[in-house]
Amino acid sequence: MTTPLEDLLKMEPEEILARNERPKADDLRNKQQLYYEDVAEGMELPKYIYNPTPTHLFRWSAAIENFHRIHYDLDFGLNHDKNPSILVHGSWKQSVVPQFLKDWTLPRGWPWKAQFEHRAMLVPGDILIMWGRVTGKYEKGRMGFVELEIGMKTQDGVESMPGTATVVLPLRDGPDIPYPFVPPTD
Amino acid sequence: MTQETQSALTPEVRAMIGVSGAVVEAWGVVDAEYLRRFTQAVMDPDPRYWDAEFAQSTQYGQIITPPIMVSYLASRIRPDQDDPVTRAFEENPESDGIGSIERPGELPPVPTNLVRVLNAGNELEIYQYPSIGDRVFFQNKYSDIRERVGRDGRPFLIITRETTYKNQKDELLCITRASTIRR
Repeated sequence: MTTPLEDLLKMEPEEILARNERPKADDLRNKQQLYYEDVAEGMELPKYIYNPTPTHLFRWSAAIENFHRIHYDLDFGLNHDKNPSILVHGSWKQSVVPQFLKDWTLPRGWPWKAQFEHRAMLVPGDILIMWGRVTGKYEKGRMGFVELEIGMKTQDGVESMPGTATVVLPLRDGPDIPYPFVPPTD
Repeated sequence: MTQETQSALTPEVRAMIGVSGAVVEAWGVVDAEYLRRFTQAVMDPDPRYWDAEFAQSTQYGQIITPPIMVSYLASRIRPDQDDPVTRAFEENPESDGIGSIERPGELPPVPTNLVRVLNAGNELEIYQYPSIGDRVFFQNKYSDIRERVGRDGRPFLIITRETTYKNQKDELLCITRASTIRR
């Protein structure tokens, strides 16, 4: 059972970090299928907790060849752009979202779509909590569609990425979710 | 809208809705080394990305890659163009590192005198995981341009750029939409 977001935000930073539920390789290898019938409105997804350092930011800049100095050049960030520090990339947050949805729907569900906004400047030292909560569900084409509210909050409860997502889970007695994914037509 | 405030959504701006760029092939192919660096940087240890034997046992039947990794493949600087990073600093020692980098497949600019750009949000639609060896083709389009009025009474634009990614078999991989505010 994941720690409710509301409770997590009342904890000290060390306690929050200790509640990280990001899966390891073997957890993902052995993931048991979550079925549509297992999901109820209000259910929270496991919390992915990050504590990014300048090295994490540099590694992301290098991986995607993003040369924007606000992400790795502290002097430039402070004195030119007047930012509080180097900044966590919006592109990194954007890439965490499909990972978060994939992991929850594995092995045979599908992380179909998401939309989110970028708010707040995140800096090294922040504790970031990727969270999700079920807001609705419906069946269509013998597939289970689950609607989620998602976001990435800081340890202070600041929401940096409010958004929504729709994922697809198999029904217990239903067919496999088609791959490549084809949404049912109306 | 008061008479003193002109609409930012002029006919010229409105005419940009639906304008598409060329279909461009990203430089290089989806490869295991790029996959390794990307998944380590996003901190996703999923063995579907690196354990070929396990990946073969999954419904995908092979190693997969994160769905929007291809969007960064598409923004690579091609080696057959001038080095834009060096040029940026030659032109302006205080360059932000990205200002003058031209990306292939870019859309023509929206004809507006609103110059301040803010990130308004992103959308992702995922249909298929790219595979190792895939060639990636992408196309940009202005999918939407809307006008809003700020608290100061001045109009601003929300411009949405949609990018569609397909593989060499013309199969849809994913669609991304990035919205920016122009004030």
